Amino acid sequence: MSTGENKRSVQVGIFVFLGLVIFIVGVLFLGGQQKRFIKSIEVSAVFDDVGGLKTGNNVWFSGVKVGTVKAVKFYGKSQVEVTMNIEKEAQEYIHKDAQAEISSEGFIGNKIVVIEGGTPQLASVDDGDIIRAKAVLGTDQIMETLQENNKNLLKITTDFKGLVSKIARGKGTIGAVLTDSILAEQFKATVNHLERASQNAERMSGSLASYSNRLNTKGSLAHELVTDTTVFASIKSSANQLKQMSQSANQLVDKASQATTNVVTATNKLNQNDNALGLLLNDQKTSADLRTTLKYLESSSRKLDQNMEALQHNFLTRPFFRRQEKAEAKAKRDSLKNAGQQP
Amino acid sequence: MNKTDTQDGSKRVSRINRFFLDLHDVFLFVVRIFKEAFLPPYEFKEIVKQCFEVGVKSLPLISLTGFITGIVFVNQSRPSLSEFGAVSWLPSLIAIAIVRALAPLVTSLIAAGKVGSNIGAELGSMNVTEQIDAMEVSATNPFKFLVVSRVIATTTMIPILTVYTTMLALLGGFINIHQHEATSFQTYFTQVFNTVTFTDVFASLAKSIVFGFTIGAVGCYKGFHSSKGTEGVGKAANTSVVLSMFLIFIEELLSLQIVMALIS
Repeated sequence: MSTGENKRSVQVGIFVFLGLVIFIVGVLFLGGQQKRFIKSIEVSAVFDDVGGLKTGNNVWFSGVKVGTVKAVKFYGKSQVEVTMNIEKEAQEYIHKDAQAEISSEGFIGNKIVVIEGGTPQLASVDDGDIIRAKAVLGTDQIMETLQENNKNLLKITTDFKGLVSKIARGKGTIGAVLTDSILAEQFKATVNHLERASQNAERMSGSLASYSNRLNTKGSLAHELVTDTTVFASIKSSANQLKQMSQSANQLVDKASQATTNVVTATNKLNQNDNALGLLLNDQKTSADLRTTLKYLESSSRKLDQNMEALQHNFLTRPFFRRQEKAEAKAKRDSLKNAGQQP
Repeated sequence: MNKTDTQDGSKRVSRINRFFLDLHDVFLFVVRIFKEAFLPPYEFKEIVKQCFEVGVKSLPLISLTGFITGIVFVNQSRPSLSEFGAVSWLPSLIAIAIVRALAPLVTSLIAAGKVGSNIGAELGSMNVTEQIDAMEVSATNPFKFLVVSRVIATTTMIPILTVYTTMLALLGGFINIHQHEATSFQTYFTQVFNTVTFTDVFASLAKSIVFGFTIGAVGCYKGFHSSKGTEGVGKAANTSVVLSMFLIFIEELLSLQIVMALIS
């Protein structure tokens, strides 16, 4: 074999070798990416609709690819059984009550199976287990909802269009506000008032600031009032006295209240017939008796008057009455005399 | 029925007859290739020489073509994907396009142009100069020496060239994507290998084997059966390129149907 042939053979050998190396590395890398060369378990889930899921699609758990779809076949009457290869390393995180749902890698991406881990208290899934499938909204259902939303949006925009049109024509309160020149003038005036009010408020805040400055100025009355401890003590004492006064007033009011209660009790008793005054005031029989008694007393006094008249004309008692008249006349004269002597 | 019509009709019949006779010849030729390939003696030296001619010598041209294909494909796909904000899907798109179709197709078409014409012209000129007859006289099997070695070389080298093309096209795509989207090497290749499946890889490999065989067989057949004279050599070179390219597209279409049927 010549040198040229040898060289050619070596070159062909290197060419083939490098080609094979690239191919094998590619295949290994591909296998690694698709988890083909790692230990795995088989888990199934039965779905009503797989939405175009195919063999080889990815299986995700907590956002990490943990396996691939091994087979998709019909199950029962119309359901679909999806068999998945899950890598052994992820087995311990997927529990017996885990749920599988069909999702996609993006809005326009491939379909995937997403597994939700389940309750940690339960055991992990085993090879051949069937996990629960979760029904999800399909694209058609989402589109139906969107269509409904579109209709609503159209309705809203139509209404809004009508509303804006009415406002533009000056109809309604808002339309009047926007188109009526008088209202606009009034609004302008209101704004002016508000502006003035804000100016006043500004001035007031300036005054308050100067007042607070004066409060802080030593020697001023306000500062003394705020800071002088003697004045403060006097005010405190006055306040205490006021407090005592109010307490006394409270006691007075209490006593007045008690007195009122007693008066009420007395009044109540007056309204009853179990006492003399109540009987006198309320009992008609007693009233009649009293009236009769008074009649008798009147008659008696009249007769006594007559008797006394007779007694005055009696010779035995007449001197007594004459002496009495003379004493009375004398006292009258003395009093008049005393009044005339005074300046 | 006049005389001209009779002549046209007989020409048509003779063309159809010739087509089927050619088809029969091709069938026998292919069967003989397989038969001679597995039967000793084996022409290793000639096979290595042809591998060198087909593989090593074509590598620079095919590698450059693959690299450019990757860059151009990414550049042309970007506007369409960016319209709906899916530029991040470029690695996936280029991976599928290159592994499934572009790499074997581009490699085979370039090889058909370069190697197929070479084989057709070489064997055609040998046929014209009666070197093939001379080989037969000197007790050398010209079919085994000339045809089988070339067909084996194209059948084995085209898949390897396809592997190189795939790698360089993906690399070209990466350079372009990295330049525009600043995608890292790891992210790019992770996305590429996430998208590609074993079916894609082995289908691509199988296709390139078939394409290689086609290039070799067509070139050898046309060269081996070239008509006498210098015109026949040119014709053999030309038809071997045209026919092999045409057959490559037909096979691409058939393989696509087969792969789709396998996947579904």
